[in-house]
Amino acid sequence: MKRTAAILLAILLGSCAKSDGKTHIYLQRFFGECGAEYGGSTDIAKAEGECGIITTMINRFNAENPDIQLDVNVVAWPGYPQLTAQVAARDPPDLVTMHEGVISDYAAKGLVEPVDGYLRAAGVSPDGFTEAAKQGVTMYGHIYALPWDTHGGLFHVNTALFAKAGLMRGGKPVLPNTADELISQARQFEQRTGKPYLIQSNVGDPAFAARNLYTYMIAKGAVLFPDAHHIRLNTPVGVEVAAFFRRINAEKLGSQNMDTPGAIAAFVSGEGGIYPTGTWMIGSFEQEATTPGRPLYKNYAVYPYPHLWGEHVEFVSGHSWVVPTRKRTPQQRDAIARFFKFMAAHNYDWVRTGHIPAFKAVLDDPRFKALPHRADIAPLATIGRPLPSNVQRQNAIEGIVGEEAAAAFTGQKSIPQALAQAERRVNDLLSQID
Amino acid sequence: MTSQRDWRGLLFVAPFLLLYSIILIFPLLRGLWLSLNQVDLFGAGHFVGLGNYSRLLRDPIFGTSLVNTFVVTLMIVPALTVIALALALALNRASRSAAIFRGIFFSSAVLSVTIVTLIWRFMLAPDAGFLGFVAKAFSAEPLPFLSDEHLVLPALAITTIWWSVGFPMLLFLAGLQQIPEDMYEAAALDNAGRWTTFWRITLPSLRRTVVLVVMLQTAAQLQLFGQSQLLTAGGPSGASRTAVLFLFETAFGRWELGYASAAAEVLFLLILAVTLTQYWATGQTKGARDGR
Amino acid sequence: MAADLRRGRLTPLGWAGLLIGAAIMLAPLIWTLLLSLKNNGELVGHSEAALHGPYTLQNYAAIFGNSLTLRWLLNSTIVALGQTAGVLILASLAGYGFARLDFPFRRTLYIFVLVGLAVPSQAVILVQHQLFAWLRLHNSYPGLILPGLIAPFGVFFMTTYMRGIPRELDEAAMLDGASRWTIFWKIIMPLTVPAQSTLAVFTFLGAWNDYWWPLISATRSDMYTLTVGLAAAQMNYAQTSGLGYLMAQAVFASIPIFIIYIIFQKQIVRAMAGTAVR
Repeated sequence: MKRTAAILLAILLGSCAKSDGKTHIYLQRFFGECGAEYGGSTDIAKAEGECGIITTMINRFNAENPDIQLDVNVVAWPGYPQLTAQVAARDPPDLVTMHEGVISDYAAKGLVEPVDGYLRAAGVSPDGFTEAAKQGVTMYGHIYALPWDTHGGLFHVNTALFAKAGLMRGGKPVLPNTADELISQARQFEQRTGKPYLIQSNVGDPAFAARNLYTYMIAKGAVLFPDAHHIRLNTPVGVEVAAFFRRINAEKLGSQNMDTPGAIAAFVSGEGGIYPTGTWMIGSFEQEATTPGRPLYKNYAVYPYPHLWGEHVEFVSGHSWVVPTRKRTPQQRDAIARFFKFMAAHNYDWVRTGHIPAFKAVLDDPRFKALPHRADIAPLATIGRPLPSNVQRQNAIEGIVGEEAAAAFTGQKSIPQALAQAERRVNDLLSQID
Repeated sequence: MTSQRDWRGLLFVAPFLLLYSIILIFPLLRGLWLSLNQVDLFGAGHFVGLGNYSRLLRDPIFGTSLVNTFVVTLMIVPALTVIALALALALNRASRSAAIFRGIFFSSAVLSVTIVTLIWRFMLAPDAGFLGFVAKAFSAEPLPFLSDEHLVLPALAITTIWWSVGFPMLLFLAGLQQIPEDMYEAAALDNAGRWTTFWRITLPSLRRTVVLVVMLQTAAQLQLFGQSQLLTAGGPSGASRTAVLFLFETAFGRWELGYASAAAEVLFLLILAVTLTQYWATGQTKGARDGR
Repeated sequence: MAADLRRGRLTPLGWAGLLIGAAIMLAPLIWTLLLSLKNNGELVGHSEAALHGPYTLQNYAAIFGNSLTLRWLLNSTIVALGQTAGVLILASLAGYGFARLDFPFRRTLYIFVLVGLAVPSQAVILVQHQLFAWLRLHNSYPGLILPGLIAPFGVFFMTTYMRGIPRELDEAAMLDGASRWTIFWKIIMPLTVPAQSTLAVFTFLGAWNDYWWPLISATRSDMYTLTVGLAAAQMNYAQTSGLGYLMAQAVFASIPIFIIYIIFQKQIVRAMAGTAVR
């Protein structure tokens, strides 16, 4: 009996609300968990990488605003099944990181609040957003998120290996201008270095395959979404693009069987020429490039995806902060506004990760321009193309398209079969939306 | 006096029955209702009768997930039963060393699925995994267990067998200890060899336990979820997606609650059918044998 | 037992098989332990570094110093203990009712309970999630404990066991004027201690290792149980490459359950023997 009472007491205590006089804001984000490294540090300038920088920024906000407490919940990327479960449970967070393409899903159902009010209270004007950022967060006549960055794929290059392969000219890596050039340069690279030209995270990373397919189809002028309820992939353009990547894998010009941690580790250890991941890795790789003794030391360069045909464009997305709908106290609303103000003011710190800023002022900031490699990747701000914002379930779609594209690229399925299945599954999904 | 006793009896079972009805029966019935609707996770929807079910029949992804589920169950259950039986036979002794071995073979069974998948990810991964090094030590290419479409289901099977061998082993041990002495003594008097003793006496006496193990394990493995989600995320391209993972992704990834509910009902029926078939089939042969 | 000993004598082949089997059982555990004792940086791209020194306890220090892992341990403990207590109480009460008392619809209600044994979790979990959302019980201890209380197995187990207790004891007490409740509490319950401890161990293990329900119910990382927290850490691994730290969390998560296993070995074995007899 006593034991039962003790347990009941513990349960009651566990369900009690905190009472420390602070306004509590529940913040949910991805970008990884690195409390072991950064702990309670508030030194943003010294932090590196997405995880380090966001952790220190939040710590700094908590320190500078003693009457507010940001309770942080780190979820595995992209965190949407979790967020969905929370919203379905009527207990969502106060602030959530969300890809711009996904906002429409929640906004269409009123599950996230328009943030015009918060922006006004924070003194942040939407006119200060970059074009891409503004487009990404504006829908249904309102602004639904504070834009945070624009990000896309990049070719991260190991220049030492490129030199060995004879692919350096004037201190810069030689990148292909046509599909055939890529194949021949890749073959040359393999012959001279014995390592794969491309390091690929084929395993458990549908975003990788989706990014490649989307980018090179858009480059050829393909309209992926003719309307909000249909996708078109199984077209001559789609088949051509998939065949190109299939060839890369068939001729073993790219590494096989690696997942993301494996691919990162391989690139960092000098096991391949190019790792086509994205802006988010610049910060970490740059750190490697400035540490003596590491394989990438002074051997790192980065460029947008090469222009292989058609237009030089790239599929991009963007991160943003949304505010799920729920009842809040005036103090909580004020806290959210202050958070927005803080984040807008610190956008420069965030883009040290490698992402493109969401604010025009930061793009023009000399500090930004002085950051390493930014001049090389600057074109991304203009050649970036997001998916149409009226298409819902973009995260689920990326998962489906990535899964089928990966199967087409590795030869697990025939290309027409994979593309047709991707189309069928996505159209099926979109037709379920009322 | 009788009615007073009757009434008070209900008081004892009421607390359980109340919770049970609310938390199990109600969801069971409502799930059935939801499966007849096209409804998303946030409530918006309409009645579609058997529409979800016909869509499931036409859905190759669901079909593949069912096939994967059955294949992996077939990979696991026979092997698991044989291994557990062999271990029980070998360790059915009262010695110290047997006790230690029994402890070792049961130790994995107390771990949770997340611990087990974490351990086995770093056994099977070709780059960072232990089996990768063993292969390289023998100058062989490490097998890409977690990324090759033909190897992922065996990878799930190996992990699950390692994890699950303890319980059946104990069941068999208990069953072995039920076998009466005199049967063995009679066989010894007839100078029966070890194999004969095994086939004619041990195995038939263990029948009930074997059937129990097979039925329990089949039902359990048809619901395989954690290993599929955490080790391979159902990949590559759905080659290791099991039925329950399909359900989870449909509900929480694609928000299609009605469709997911229909899939859950289909899986439920399949498990019921398989279990009943096993029960009936073993009942039949027993009847035939006894009648001889 | 002489007969058993004779049957159990192993050939050298048998011994070899056992040793290889034991090695296969233990190798993954040892590998995990070795990985947990290495510095994260050394392991990047070269996890074979775990096969040789230097070894360090820094990953375990990180767990105690700076992480939610301890909170997860607390959550798992509260949930598992809560569920165990709850099941013992409910199943014992219901078991006594079904085994000993005669009330209207007793047979029907018992079959009603047994039917639940056939229902797999995925058939009900989606609606359970909705139900608990409506009741605002997610991300709470009651939310994590309640679903486990309705397992029909507990009632089935206790009912069967109590039926095995001789009725004479009840009747003797009734002649002395004892009430139903007194008989339950003072006579039946003490006699069911072996069954209680078996059911307790099973329920505790099941609650501790439960994955799917806490995954969708405890979505805030401070409410994770150890099992779910480890899954989240596994999925976050892609962004932080802290392999040693990750494995230390796995080892840390295994320790409580191994302790329970070692202490309650007898109960577990007896439980299996009991199940086989049926």
